[in-house]
Amino acid sequence: MAYAYLFKYIIIGDTGVGKSCLLLQFTDKRFQPVHDLTIGVEFGARMITIDGKQIKLQIWDTAGQESFRSITRSYYRGAAGALLVYDITRRDTFNHLTTWLEDARQHSNSNMVIMLIGNKSDLESRREVKKEEGEAFAREHGLIFMETSAKTASNVEEAFINTAKEIYEKIQEGVFDINNEANGIKIGPQHATTNSTLSGSQGGQQAGGGCC
Amino acid sequence: CMLCLYFCSELRKHSWSGIPREVRPITWRLLSGYLPVNMERRDLVLKRKRDEYFGFIEQYYHSRTDETYKDTYRQIHIDIPRTNPLIPLFQQPAVQEVFERILFIWAIRHPASGYVQGINDLVTPFFVVFLSEFVEEDVENFDVASLPLDTQRNIEADSFWCMTKLLDGIQDNYTFAQPGIQNKVKALEELVSRIDEDIHNYFKRYEVEYLQFAFRWMNNLLMRELPLRCTIRLWDTYQAEQEGFSHFHLYVCAAFLIEWRKEILSMVDFQGLLMLLQNLPTIHWGNEEVGLLLAEAYRLKYMFADAPNHYKR
Repeated sequence: MAYAYLFKYIIIGDTGVGKSCLLLQFTDKRFQPVHDLTIGVEFGARMITIDGKQIKLQIWDTAGQESFRSITRSYYRGAAGALLVYDITRRDTFNHLTTWLEDARQHSNSNMVIMLIGNKSDLESRREVKKEEGEAFAREHGLIFMETSAKTASNVEEAFINTAKEIYEKIQEGVFDINNEANGIKIGPQHATTNSTLSGSQGGQQAGGGCC
Repeated sequence: CMLCLYFCSELRKHSWSGIPREVRPITWRLLSGYLPVNMERRDLVLKRKRDEYFGFIEQYYHSRTDETYKDTYRQIHIDIPRTNPLIPLFQQPAVQEVFERILFIWAIRHPASGYVQGINDLVTPFFVVFLSEFVEEDVENFDVASLPLDTQRNIEADSFWCMTKLLDGIQDNYTFAQPGIQNKVKALEELVSRIDEDIHNYFKRYEVEYLQFAFRWMNNLLMRELPLRCTIRLWDTYQAEQEGFSHFHLYVCAAFLIEWRKEILSMVDFQGLLMLLQNLPTIHWGNEEVGLLLAEAYRLKYMFADAPNHYKR
């Protein structure tokens, strides 16, 4: 399917915070209470629309365990957006954010948009990290922030789409060199032909099977 | 002794093309090198090894909450419920506790690698096979707590030791930066470039890297790509082969990739290729498919193992 831009994402964060569940909810609109472990990296994709333009998201979901870090690091480069995920019911996953952020900043291109995500917002009774703390961390480090629930789908669309919006704006501002694929952005075949091909091309929503 | 050597080579020969269910538990114990061939020593060795394992438990298992080991234990603890989540057997508390003990003891006794995700999968074939000795039909739904405690303990100890033997042969898969896996993925790429140029060039054209799909094939020994029953059949052969889990596995991976040749070459972009390669449709696979896969792997090994630029062991 034709698209105006392709954005590459990476999802990072501690083991068991719900990275794969967020991806599954976003690409397949379903929740799997017990998800298989992610080994190394796994791939997902979906088409979204921003400003009337079709944008293809290609997403690398990484394993959270430290042992895989040497493999997952190589995926930072070539990513335009990163979702940095912690679990609001586990304080230690929030405490490790600084390490994740340092790692991401060190191995990615400097314009990569980072979205901080506090996942499992449906588990309010087990909450260990206040929403304000997430907001403060994001403000301090220049990240966008959202709380999500991969289980109820709350804010999941928004998290992926808002990240894309930010990248899109940066492109408009000329911050990204879109001709350099190492930035995780690719111009689609549709781009040159303006908006005329857009109508009726909303079908890419249920990727999963690799339809777009 | 000569007789033992002869017995061993005969056992390997007969096991290569699949071991009958009734004799699989004892054959696996023998092939893995856990149980001695010499009949007179078997009972003694089994008792000693089982006692040794439970000695480890007594000595070390309480340390799982210590500062040094608590991260290892926590990782294992959250991974166990995610091990084969769709098979009811592995959701039983008694079984999950067995897995936690096996993996924790193995991890702290092997600090060079420690526990790496994927190792959890490697216990399951042993556990299922040793359990099958006591189950008439459906192992995957059997209630383990209904077995006598002694039996449960023996299954646990045997699974631990056989898994340990397996991991001894592939330890560099799990040490820092996982060099064993990096090398094997490179070797796979090199092998495929010689076996099937079309697929190799197709990957190049669409910028698919072997590491993007084959990392998991090596890290989990194809267990995530095949139903458990197929893995068990596969391991009959891996244990019958010399260096089955390390060396022969490479040829199996190459044969497995080529198996999907038609599907691969029908994809029209990177995305389609990646989605296919990480969700290969093997759900209906059984002994027949695995048998064909192994035969093809054997052929590839025979044809390509001694060719120039061959992957060095």
